Amino acid sequence: MKYIELVNNLLKNEVSKHEQLVVFGQNVSAGSCIGGMTRDLSVPKTGKIINSTNSENSLCGFGFGMMINDVSSIFFMKQLDFLLLGIDHLVNTYNLIRNHENNASFTIFPIVMDNGFQGLQSSSNNFADFCSIARIKGYTITNKIDAERIISSKLVSPGFRIITISQRMFKDEIIIPEELIYVNEENDVFQYNSGNDVTIVCFNFSFPYGQQMVNILRENNLKCSFFNVNSPTPTNWVEIINDVIKTKKIIIIDDSKSENLNCYALLTDIYDKVKLDKKIILKRNINDSEWLNPIDDQMNINYQQIVNDLAG
Amino acid sequence: MTELKSLSEKILRIRLSQMMVNENYKEGQFKIPIHLAFGHETFAVAINEIMDDEDKLILTHRNIAYNLARLGKLRPIVDEYFLKSSGLDAAKSGSMNLINPSKGIIYTSNILGNNFSVAVGIAMSLEIKQKNGITIVLGGDGSLEEGSFHESILMFKSLNLSGLLIIENNEWSMATKISERRIPIDLETFTKSYGVKYVQFSGNDPIDYVQELKKLKELSKKNNELICIELMVNTLGDWIMTNDQNPNGKFINYHSGPAPTVDVKKCPALIRENNSDPIFVLMDLLGLDDLNKLSDKIRSELEEEMK
Repeated sequence: MKYIELVNNLLKNEVSKHEQLVVFGQNVSAGSCIGGMTRDLSVPKTGKIINSTNSENSLCGFGFGMMINDVSSIFFMKQLDFLLLGIDHLVNTYNLIRNHENNASFTIFPIVMDNGFQGLQSSSNNFADFCSIARIKGYTITNKIDAERIISSKLVSPGFRIITISQRMFKDEIIIPEELIYVNEENDVFQYNSGNDVTIVCFNFSFPYGQQMVNILRENNLKCSFFNVNSPTPTNWVEIINDVIKTKKIIIIDDSKSENLNCYALLTDIYDKVKLDKKIILKRNINDSEWLNPIDDQMNINYQQIVNDLAG
Repeated sequence: MTELKSLSEKILRIRLSQMMVNENYKEGQFKIPIHLAFGHETFAVAINEIMDDEDKLILTHRNIAYNLARLGKLRPIVDEYFLKSSGLDAAKSGSMNLINPSKGIIYTSNILGNNFSVAVGIAMSLEIKQKNGITIVLGGDGSLEEGSFHESILMFKSLNLSGLLIIENNEWSMATKISERRIPIDLETFTKSYGVKYVQFSGNDPIDYVQELKKLKELSKKNNELICIELMVNTLGDWIMTNDQNPNGKFINYHSGPAPTVDVKKCPALIRENNSDPIFVLMDLLGLDDLNKLSDKIRSELEEEMK
């Protein structure tokens, strides 16, 4: 099953359960249904699906307005950069709501344009910045386990959050991790492997790179712990720190284009607790204007070099 | 006459309440910015008169007259301005975001044009919850310049939602007149292009305002349609600023802060001697003697409340 098919199936299942739920967005029930993400969604008769106008700022206010009067909603959005138009509401409107008692749910569900080929739009692979601006909870969906956990627990749940999926992974086969060893209470730090040789931590949508790293290290008789941080901003990652205290070696992969890389916040917390023997940070190298052009901006990781580095 | 007297009492109460707030403000007692609304009292009372339990009122930073009208008391609002836990919103909102959900004021925004789209969402929530209420949202003439004004009208109409969209046109945005910052906007033509009915209010006659608003509210509910009301209003409290740059004095229309030329000791609370002042209109409708008596009674009640 493809990544986007799984997401669509999980969304269909979840929205069908909630009474008085309003689902809205541009093309949410028309045309391509946002690349198949929202195809065939159906809500109970007490709710509504609205194929909306192209008014991103006001659509954010619309969702918050329903939330204020105790009606839950989901705003599906084709591209994360469209949300730039709604930042006033993310900050000012949300601040008023969360300063008062409220039990409704509002989720904005955009697609992060992280495949590079859309040029300037793809420079906005910076989910962390949207969340950081008003301390908004955010979640990335990267594999079958986190998709199921996050969509079932967060999509319609009291409060406001942003859940994102990756454009780059749309047509990839969904990755099914072998097992889930640990997940924190917030459902935004997942552990999939445990080992004593090195701790691997992935951020943003870099989970597939991390999974590949795990497999290659295993082939070279290196056992690693593997975590994925699904929050774009600092969260409860105490289990990662405990693991690094054990391994004293860390590989971090962060494919975000934000200047506020969440991995640095984790490293700061780790430095407080342990002196590292090895630290490998794999992130985007944005040195020139090329990152603004339409390009394939997959990360090129030399896995064998990392194996050699760890072995040495 | 009974209805007129009742409305007049409410209008006077808001005027005198604001004057008392202004006196505190002039003495520098508030740490938060407050946007007084001298001149807006009659319309605020009329809105209060037409609101039912399930109606929702969405306000702007200049919300004091509406909050006073809905609450009918001064003390909790002044306590909020003093950021006391006994304040109307337990010191969470201050002035520019002051809400009172128990009276239908469920959202107030300090951001120009921000509240229009929130109002569309609230209107949708009333439909989803099958409530009989209507959404009433206010903005100033400055908010017409925001994209959200256009977007929200489009959404109201596209979704067939009822609502009253009220534009308080005082011809000023902060310290600039409309003519100093943009070309004129013909709001009637603008709203007509969206198929939105437009009505203009002016003159501060309380009976007329209430009757007309009642009709428009029923029409909006009956047809599930948005109606735009342009309220021609003067925000009173202007003054002449004299400094090195303006040695001959410059006219400053009241925007926020204390209104230095408004004096609480004046009776019956008159600020300007024409129809732009609701109190001047009441003088004409009630007669000066009755208005003075009513003013003395309310002033005494407010002083007792604020002891």
